[in-house]
Amino acid sequence: MRVQRQRTRPLEPSPETFRDIVERHQARVFSIAFRILGESGVAEEVAQDVFLELHRSLARLESEDHVTAWLRRVTCHRATDALRRRAARGHGSAVEYEDGMELRPAVRGFLPLMNRVEQLLLTLPPAQRAVMVLRYQEDLEPEDIAVELKIPLATVRSSLHRAVQLLRAKAERTLKEYSRD
Amino acid sequence: MIEDAFEKDLREQLRTREAPGGFADRVMTRVAAKPARRRWPGFGMPVWRWAVAALLVAGMVLGSVEHDREQRREGERAREQVLLALRITGATLRDVQEKVDAESGQETRKQSGGMDREGQAQE
Repeated sequence: MRVQRQRTRPLEPSPETFRDIVERHQARVFSIAFRILGESGVAEEVAQDVFLELHRSLARLESEDHVTAWLRRVTCHRATDALRRRAARGHGSAVEYEDGMELRPAVRGFLPLMNRVEQLLLTLPPAQRAVMVLRYQEDLEPEDIAVELKIPLATVRSSLHRAVQLLRAKAERTLKEYSRD
Repeated sequence: MIEDAFEKDLREQLRTREAPGGFADRVMTRVAAKPARRRWPGFGMPVWRWAVAALLVAGMVLGSVEHDREQRREGERAREQVLLALRITGATLRDVQEKVDAESGQETRKQSGGMDREGQAQE
């Protein structure tokens, strides 16, 4: 017997339902955006945009896990896009990322709200920042990161390996600088 | 995957941060201010299906117009060919007529010449 699929018209969530979703996920979304962008104001703007986009797309998302994965993926993409737009407009973030770069004292002073690891994270390319945040903030396995960001697993593994190595080297040098200061 | 002290430190320092105070309120204000999306009056059918249907109809109309044009062109060609054939036939008939007229003129002259000679001999 042929089973007919029930077609459902997308429904807008009630304000109470949506507020509950925002409150449950706001810390996650803001943290991802903040650690990729490095600025609280821009991160909040991106996080708000992500939730507005979620409001439009919610009817297509089938479960809480689906919502969480969607939020992680879209936040990473929107934050990376915002970073590119700022760079294109010549408003690069306070910290430029280069392999050999260390955080200068002036830069450390510019980011008083960030902890040491968050500051070091900003010296990585945006794609590596996103992978690191998903791995260490969101506690995702490389396989899950590959699925969520739709990138090859090998790329995720190499990005993580390279980013951890870079951060380790930079952290050691920074510690030496602090001890000399 | 075995983590060392550095990676544990990473995890510790990258714990989720709290969103700024009043974040949810600001999101809800923007959601409420967002203009209601105009519904597509598509009788429940998604826009892409309407687009596909419109393309199909446009294709059929264009195909039909092109078919008509082709038939008209073929008719024009056939008419031209008939007219050409008629012109050729007319010209040929004129040639034949002229030849026949010329032949019959010669014959008449020959006959009248013979009769003259016979008359003169009788005289």
